[in-house]
Amino acid sequence: MKLVNKFTWSFVAIVLILTPVTMTISYRSIKRQLDKAEGIRLAEMNDNVANKLRAGHASQEYTQSHPIAITKITALPEQKVQVIETQEFNNALNRKECLLTVNSFYTINGEYYKVSSYNFVTKSEQIFKGMMAAVIWKVVLLVFGVIITARIISRYVLSPFRQTMVTINNFRVKQKEKIKLPETSTQEFKELNRFLQKMTDKAIEDYASVKEFSENASHELQTPLAVIRSKIELMAETDIDATQAALIEDVQNAIEKLSSINRSLTLLTKLENQEFETSSNIKFCTVTKQVIASFEDWIQMKQLTLTRSLDKNVPLTIHPTLAEMLMTNLLSNAIRHNIPGGHIEVELSAKGLVVSNTGLPPEIPTEELFQRFKKSNQSADSIGLGLAIVKQICEVNRFAVNYEYSNGWHMIGVCFEGKGKMVSAAERFARLQQISMPA
Amino acid sequence: MKVLAVEDNKELASSIHDYLAGEGYICEVAYGFKDAREKLSLFSYDCILLDIMLPDGNGLELLRWIQQEHIASGILIISAKNALDDKVNGLEGGADDYVTKPFHLPELHARLRAIYRRKKLDGSNLISFNEINLNTDTLEAHINATLLDITRKEFDLLLYFLVNKNRVLSRQSIAAHLWGDYTDNLANFDFVYQHVKNLRKKISAANGADYIETVYGLGYKFNSSKV
Repeated sequence: MKLVNKFTWSFVAIVLILTPVTMTISYRSIKRQLDKAEGIRLAEMNDNVANKLRAGHASQEYTQSHPIAITKITALPEQKVQVIETQEFNNALNRKECLLTVNSFYTINGEYYKVSSYNFVTKSEQIFKGMMAAVIWKVVLLVFGVIITARIISRYVLSPFRQTMVTINNFRVKQKEKIKLPETSTQEFKELNRFLQKMTDKAIEDYASVKEFSENASHELQTPLAVIRSKIELMAETDIDATQAALIEDVQNAIEKLSSINRSLTLLTKLENQEFETSSNIKFCTVTKQVIASFEDWIQMKQLTLTRSLDKNVPLTIHPTLAEMLMTNLLSNAIRHNIPGGHIEVELSAKGLVVSNTGLPPEIPTEELFQRFKKSNQSADSIGLGLAIVKQICEVNRFAVNYEYSNGWHMIGVCFEGKGKMVSAAERFARLQQISMPA
Repeated sequence: MKVLAVEDNKELASSIHDYLAGEGYICEVAYGFKDAREKLSLFSYDCILLDIMLPDGNGLELLRWIQQEHIASGILIISAKNALDDKVNGLEGGADDYVTKPFHLPELHARLRAIYRRKKLDGSNLISFNEINLNTDTLEAHINATLLDITRKEFDLLLYFLVNKNRVLSRQSIAAHLWGDYTDNLANFDFVYQHVKNLRKKISAANGADYIETVYGLGYKFNSSKV
């Protein structure tokens, strides 16, 4: 619900609740005031009659044209003036009328008199009816007034807030410039802007320092590695014997692994830092074809059979380097962890990419294989970062990735649409089983 | 070939110097930005090896300066920063190629030679040694007059051997040269072995001399003195 609507409906609710309350209050006060005025008038008239009585005039004189009754009574009640309001049925008008009777008690010449006069006053319903029409108009006007002014005012008052939202939406931690938020006179928005400014400045600063650290770390490690590698290479040129050669080879392998780990970790940091943002579309099918072509000799050498079903024209918004890396990692994984004479199946559609391969059963749950340095069967020619990189690439591009194993087939599915999986795994596995019954 | 290596790490600079000197090149070393600028204003070089991170300046700035001064040397950037923007900036700034640390010396040399061929030998695309002739444009290899039926990878391998004659080429260096730095894809050495074997077989079949020999435990070597 929009903020302006929340405010509007609250105001409308208040109006609707308070109107009957205020109506009752004003109705009561009007009625009381009317009755009081009539009561005072009648009491005054009674007093006049009593005064005349005291002066010895005949009582009838005053009762002829006025509805006044004078009766002698035996004792005075405590209350000297009684005001009684009653609903009487008026035969002449043939309806109920409200009758106000004022009884005044006097002691005149040692005798007790009750002078009572009465008059018809305005009925409650009549006052109520009169008020109702006014109140309905009032409520309708108020509600419309609230709705319209709330809309106009909110457009003006909330405009700095909207601008702030737009700015924040467009904020990228990668950008080196600080964000500029609109000026506002609203206290809350001032506070919000101050907070956002502080937060984004800090984010930019932190990002820059993390980036700097990862770059520096990579630089600082790569240079000594380059020194070691070059020295070993120069050493290999010298006159060495077989034992030394074996030692040099071990060193070379270790350097290879070290530099590969370093490169992969740097890449993961960069992926986490979202350094591969892109807005351009590439044809993923072309990338897939290229990568498959570059691996063809390896596939041949391991005597694997690759079947592919690639949809033409699969455009995807992804950094070209990442697209290639994703495909390379998935395919090299499928080749490396395959069994001799095994199969690989690559399927690409607009919905996603599925790379399936035959292989030994995994020794740890497949989802864990996406973690860094997790390897199923500690195969020596892998460092265990390939799938971590795949996962990270998928996360950066908001693809969903899942890994499943069934009966000799490994299947990694990348769904380009974010949530959801590629076609039901069971169905696919059943089809794959028919391609080859794994040994 | 005359080369200036701009590299602040003395040990690495000396490795580069030793390797290139071994090829009969004149290799001079500059350890910093100012040093390099001084040398470049006084002498001319065929190729410059340029480290991006220098203690007293940025390699990319030096690159801009080189462009301003119209120095026509080929430029190979060496950097540990394999940040994408650096790579792009470097190549857009007029560099000819880019290698990241830690590189293999034969790889550095091969790239340097490629730049030299393009820039200084007027884009000469012919490389020959005794009976072997390679055309880097058409990717054709001839042994005397016989056209070798070799794959792209085998061609690259043969070229790599010819550029680094009489050098021990480790399997790691060959794998990196042929397949690049695939992430989490450590060199597949069986693969290297297979390619070298095929190449030797094809050269022998065309009556070429078997120059490529195995160096026990280390890798392979193109022995030019073999007849």
